[in-house]
Amino acid sequence: MSTGTIVKTSNLNYSFRNGVKTLDDINLEVPAGSIYGFLGPNGAGKTTTLRLLLGLLKNQQGELEVFGQAFGSHRIEILKRLGSLIEQPSLYLHLTARENLEIYRLVYNVSKARVDEVLKLVGLESTGKKRAKQFSLGMRQRLSIAIALLHQPELLILDEPTNGLDPNGIIEMRELIRKLNREHGTTVIVSSHILVEIEKMATHVGIIHKGRMLFQGPLQELQQMKTQQSVLEIETNDNNRALEILSRQHKVQQTTSLITLPYGGKQETAAINQLLVKEGLEVYALHPKQSDLEQLFIEITSDNI
Amino acid sequence: MSLAIATRAEIIKNRRGAAFWMCLIGSAFIPFIYFLIYNLKPERNYERMAANAWRVHFQEGWQGFSIILLPMFVILTCSLIVQVEYKNNTWKQVFASPLSTGNIFFSKYIGILAMVIFLLIMFDVFLLLAGVLTDVLHPKFTFLETEVGWSNLLRRTLKSFISLLAIVSIQYWLSLRFRNFIVPIAIGLAMLVASMTLMSWEHIDKIPYAFPFLSYARTSTASGRWLENHEIYSVLLFLVFTVMGFLDLRFRKERG
Repeated sequence: MSTGTIVKTSNLNYSFRNGVKTLDDINLEVPAGSIYGFLGPNGAGKTTTLRLLLGLLKNQQGELEVFGQAFGSHRIEILKRLGSLIEQPSLYLHLTARENLEIYRLVYNVSKARVDEVLKLVGLESTGKKRAKQFSLGMRQRLSIAIALLHQPELLILDEPTNGLDPNGIIEMRELIRKLNREHGTTVIVSSHILVEIEKMATHVGIIHKGRMLFQGPLQELQQMKTQQSVLEIETNDNNRALEILSRQHKVQQTTSLITLPYGGKQETAAINQLLVKEGLEVYALHPKQSDLEQLFIEITSDNI
Repeated sequence: MSLAIATRAEIIKNRRGAAFWMCLIGSAFIPFIYFLIYNLKPERNYERMAANAWRVHFQEGWQGFSIILLPMFVILTCSLIVQVEYKNNTWKQVFASPLSTGNIFFSKYIGILAMVIFLLIMFDVFLLLAGVLTDVLHPKFTFLETEVGWSNLLRRTLKSFISLLAIVSIQYWLSLRFRNFIVPIAIGLAMLVASMTLMSWEHIDKIPYAFPFLSYARTSTASGRWLENHEIYSVLLFLVFTVMGFLDLRFRKERG
């Protein structure tokens, strides 16, 4: 297993033929052994970045390194070590699950036993002569994953793997990604436009919006930002006076019926309560409100429009 | 080595594919028509076929096949085989697999050429079958008593294949170029019809879509030369369009 950084892009820029800049100075860093959640609204440039990583788009500007090797000069060696699933499933619908895998078994030169293994892993071992066109979307997605896993890649690139899956399918997919990461040390880049999904499995997060990276780092760092964004909501019988008292020590804001101030932990909440009571105010509500990541995500992406 | 592997993978992709079924059924079409002609009104055919049943049978069969059906099936085969990737959204998976562009391009090319050979061979098989079955049902025919004339059949098949090379290379390139399969098929069929109307033109032997019919016609008149002019052009155009098609794919900016 590789250590350090598995994928590194430096100053990646990309424009489509219409001249619109799709990627603007993308510096991606995916640590080995991580589950890297690549997050951004639709059209942010996620797929373009991932397509560049796979050589499906010709790199226009910037450096692209995978496994410490420059992509341009080591394309085939790099592709041998990674598996991918880009957007909707890529399957030969007139063929069975086994036949689909057989095609890639030949290409990646892996043993026949491995075909059975991956079929079992994704729970498609008993589909027999059923053709892929008769599969449900979830089954197709699982077969695509099986193809991506066939050669036991060190890096797995999954673009919106849960798109179109039912809740059960989404949970299964998440479990599978976690299992691969935990048991086989596979580094996974998984893109999504749904934050909660990334939050549930990623160890690292990259947020892209309008072609620019807005955040990159461990999930905890993002969660810390979340704490920083949390507020304490207070309601009293005399909000104006409470505002006056609290503004001596805190950065307070008043909304229609509430006072809000940055949340500073349980003890601080208790101290605020005591202070208000001591000043003769009746405290009706004292409510720490965590800004959820969803909110944070919207804030991060809207600040930069 | 990896080209051989990629080609094996191509063969799996075309298993039970549309191109396979079209070639199989398409190759049986003309032989079946002749089988009906011989068997529904046998007395009309006994005499005219008495001298050399196989020769007449091959001549008529190949005539019906070469003029429009054979090039049409080849045009469709090129599109259908490439469409397997477009239709299933699999180009991206192919290009993201550790195969060189050369392996991707040539393995599919070999797949198409193999399908064309399959079409020609199955056509011969069905022609032979139609003759033999006719004789079994109506022993007055002389198929079983006459020498098959293998060299004649082989020569026709081989020359047909050579005459098709130019069309294959052009259609393969067009099929790779256009995601919408109607475009290469429309261009191919329009060219085919145009070349039919221009058949008496002095330069017709330079129009690729007329080559299969010219090979049929000139095998029947047997000029004595092994390769006719148009067959040499066919090989040359094949080389030119193969290189063009490959370079076009190699330097494409967006793939899959």
